Amino acid sequence: MPATTKTNFQLVINGILKENPIFRLALSMCPAVGISTTMMNGLMLGIAVLFVQIFSSCTISLVKDYIHPRIRIPTYTLVIATWVTVIDLTLAALAPVAYKQMGIFIKLIVAFAIITMRLEVFACKNTLWPSFWDGVGMGGGFLFGMLTLGFVRELLGAGQLFGYDVLGFRPLLFFALPVAGFFCVGFLMAAFNYIEIVYNKRKKAVN
Amino acid sequence: MKEIIRITLGLTIACLIAGLIMGGVFTATERAKEHNEYLDIRATMTGMLGFNAAHPAPANLRFYSLYRYIIDDKGNKSIGYVLPLRKEKKISYALVIIGLDGKFKGIFDLNISKDKVSKVEERKTALNAVLKPPTIFTYADSTIIAKTGPKLLAYLLPGEFSGFKSIIKVMLALNSKFTITGLEIMEDEEDPGLGAEISQDYFKNQFDDKSLQRIKTLKVVKQPLPADYRKYLEKSKWEKGEFTKAEIDKIRNKYKDHNICALTGATITSKAMTRGIKGMVTKFAYRIRILDNALKQDKAPVAF
Repeated sequence: MPATTKTNFQLVINGILKENPIFRLALSMCPAVGISTTMMNGLMLGIAVLFVQIFSSCTISLVKDYIHPRIRIPTYTLVIATWVTVIDLTLAALAPVAYKQMGIFIKLIVAFAIITMRLEVFACKNTLWPSFWDGVGMGGGFLFGMLTLGFVRELLGAGQLFGYDVLGFRPLLFFALPVAGFFCVGFLMAAFNYIEIVYNKRKKAVN
Repeated sequence: MKEIIRITLGLTIACLIAGLIMGGVFTATERAKEHNEYLDIRATMTGMLGFNAAHPAPANLRFYSLYRYIIDDKGNKSIGYVLPLRKEKKISYALVIIGLDGKFKGIFDLNISKDKVSKVEERKTALNAVLKPPTIFTYADSTIIAKTGPKLLAYLLPGEFSGFKSIIKVMLALNSKFTITGLEIMEDEEDPGLGAEISQDYFKNQFDDKSLQRIKTLKVVKQPLPADYRKYLEKSKWEKGEFTKAEIDKIRNKYKDHNICALTGATITSKAMTRGIKGMVTKFAYRIRILDNALKQDKAPVAF
């Protein structure tokens, strides 16, 4: 795929809606299923992924000419691991309160498919500035997906949002289990696709 | 062939650079990270003693750390305590060795300062200077004694035991009669909504006010918490003036010998917690009595 022709704003919107990593690209389902039990968890992980995605995309777009094509995947993994470690250590040193909440999630990010895929598909073929915005879009899309999932699962599973009692009782504890994560992702994916079909139909009717 | 060399070289260089960056950031942030962890543990300990923003800790609150080691001298086992001594108003650390029969065996001064004694490596160096091979020593656990002046506030025991998924790390507070006065879950990897509820007030506060005698026979029962007990346990949700002192005492006395009500859907975690805490308290009570007796035999000028 040659260098992108989208504007920076279109890149961001692309990451959040059209190519949303969880609901359209079906990447990084592991955290989507396992960690989205509450909105706070989803928020923390989403923010951490956003940072790692942005930094990794920028780094790879800067060094893309020096990477031998056959070892690009190990190099991506190295870059992601380095950034995750740096962010983890810096956060532990500078923001201990935030680190207490987010600490466990940051270490998991190394294994995410979405970041490696984005580096492979986009960052190694584009310059710094578009890569930055693509990182923002993809990370933002992931954050949006985690928040949506967290909203559904926390509300229906614990009757709370961000820890605050909204319903006052627990409708179905089933939603706190990973099984429900699969179901929720499936249903939300279907909803996303349906919205896209309706949107395209309307666009065609207008044209 | 040339390709393989280029690839190998490229990968090696990339790994080296990544390693250097990670190592650099680690060295730069290590001290701040340790300091933050130290402050965090201190804040937890002070909170467990009942002090907070409304009741700040008195100025003479001191924490004294004891570190227990198992010493193996060619098959002869003994217990070693690294503890603080007070000599002419200065704190220094010494190793007290006690035989398995409880008899005082020896005391050795250690060349280690107060801020270094909390680090495992520094203690190891100091102990190596005193205990020459073939004697081997292994770290067992530590105890923190909180005192305000001459009065013993609490024994704080950090400990860990296996839970349902992996290890649960807790900090227990015991008063001088070994009754539990506080419990904090420091680390756990249990399921959110199920096992992770151990850190919620309505479970962990059940262990408060359990005396040593009661702990020895404590069991987990699959019963729901009585409504008034549950309200009493969730201390952070009390409204102002909701409970008078008489009511608090009444509920406390009513339930202080109650068994632990298990968490719904997390019986194994509840049982692991009870078993782990039971072990920690009973073993500690036994060991601290042995230490007290041994110290009396030598009349060592301990700082606590």
